[in-house]
Amino acid sequence: MNTNAIEIRGLKKSYGPGFQLGPLDLDVPRGAIYGLIGPNGAGKTTALDLVLGLGKNDAGEIRVFGLDHGREGVAIKRRTGYVGPELNFSAWNRVGRALRFVRGFYPDWDDAYCAELMKAFQLSPGDRIATLSFGAKTKLSLLLALAHRPELLILDEPTTGLDAVSKQQIFGELLKVVESGERTVLISSHGLSDLERFADHVALIKNGRLMLQGRMDEVVERFRLADFFLPNGRGLPNGAALTVLKHEGDRWQAVLDMQAGATERLRGLEAQQLALAPLTLEDLFVALVREKEGV
Amino acid sequence: MLLGPISAAAPGALYQQIVDGLKREVSEGRLKPGTVLPSARELAEDLLVSVITVKRAYEELEKAGIINGRQGARALVAEQGPDRSRKAKLTSARDLLKRGLQEAAEAGLTQEQALQLIKLIQEEEL
Repeated sequence: MNTNAIEIRGLKKSYGPGFQLGPLDLDVPRGAIYGLIGPNGAGKTTALDLVLGLGKNDAGEIRVFGLDHGREGVAIKRRTGYVGPELNFSAWNRVGRALRFVRGFYPDWDDAYCAELMKAFQLSPGDRIATLSFGAKTKLSLLLALAHRPELLILDEPTTGLDAVSKQQIFGELLKVVESGERTVLISSHGLSDLERFADHVALIKNGRLMLQGRMDEVVERFRLADFFLPNGRGLPNGAALTVLKHEGDRWQAVLDMQAGATERLRGLEAQQLALAPLTLEDLFVALVREKEGV
Repeated sequence: MLLGPISAAAPGALYQQIVDGLKREVSEGRLKPGTVLPSARELAEDLLVSVITVKRAYEELEKAGIINGRQGARALVAEQGPDRSRKAKLTSARDLLKRGLQEAAEAGLTQEQALQLIKLIQEEEL
């Protein structure tokens, strides 16, 4: 069995002259919660939509469960659930009708699991969708995507604007989804502290390009916030291993990529009194995203 | 003014990291007695932490006699600041080394080997 739920190779998609996604290579391992992060306009939604088969890529290839995205799109869709930022369910009037409608599309719909989720999310078939809170609508959307037990669940910013209790409920369900190791969750989010806690893998994209990809713990461990002194007014250009945050005279603060030779570079510069501290995913995100814009 | 790395991912509460960072500046002589510190608001903005966090750090430093007399909103590095900072650092270093030596002993290292280990660690540093 393939160990990756999704494999993306050389994926490209452009919108007008302004934006191009890719070329993007991405591997989403089976059984993982995979976080896709990046600033607004980075191309997260474009990438997720292409995986879902919404819109056509200009180049490259997407394989989901080893199936070719172009030729076997229907088979992929049957095994995929999706929660998007649009929560427009009011047309169904009541929760029960929405359930019956969506259920009709999926032979694998699991009534017992659906009932369990209804209870966990405190929804009932008689609830009027128009009067549901924002959080309850998000939960309904997740329930509709989950109840046919998809092997792949794609969530596009599902927790934006939710309170802490709702967020934890949703992540609690996502952790149950991946419990067996067979099902996979791909989630884009700006909730970096949540992702740092719940996601197994993370990819950072910026301006349509992949900047970083890997296991969450390894990605966070790889970088350090550093404070040090450089002798006699030596300058310090940004490099692959080193992103300057601030400096005052001969004192510098920077984010170091310990895997890209940051220690060696600092040794070469005769840095002194080096002090290192770990970073949160959020601080790392800010440092890396700002660097490429030029401070 | 720059302080050593202050990070939510590092061990210790943020205010404690600020306390330790300022103690280091004072003990290493970059902040000299009589130097006016940035206001709590300025430092909070600079470090991207809450004003309360910085105020708490200043209170701790005032209690320890390292900074004093907030004239208006401003705190100054105390005359005794460098001495007291160094003493605080010495106490902390002593505690940490004591704990380290205890762990080393429990790992089966002789005193001689433990001292060698300290030298080895120093050489590893940049």
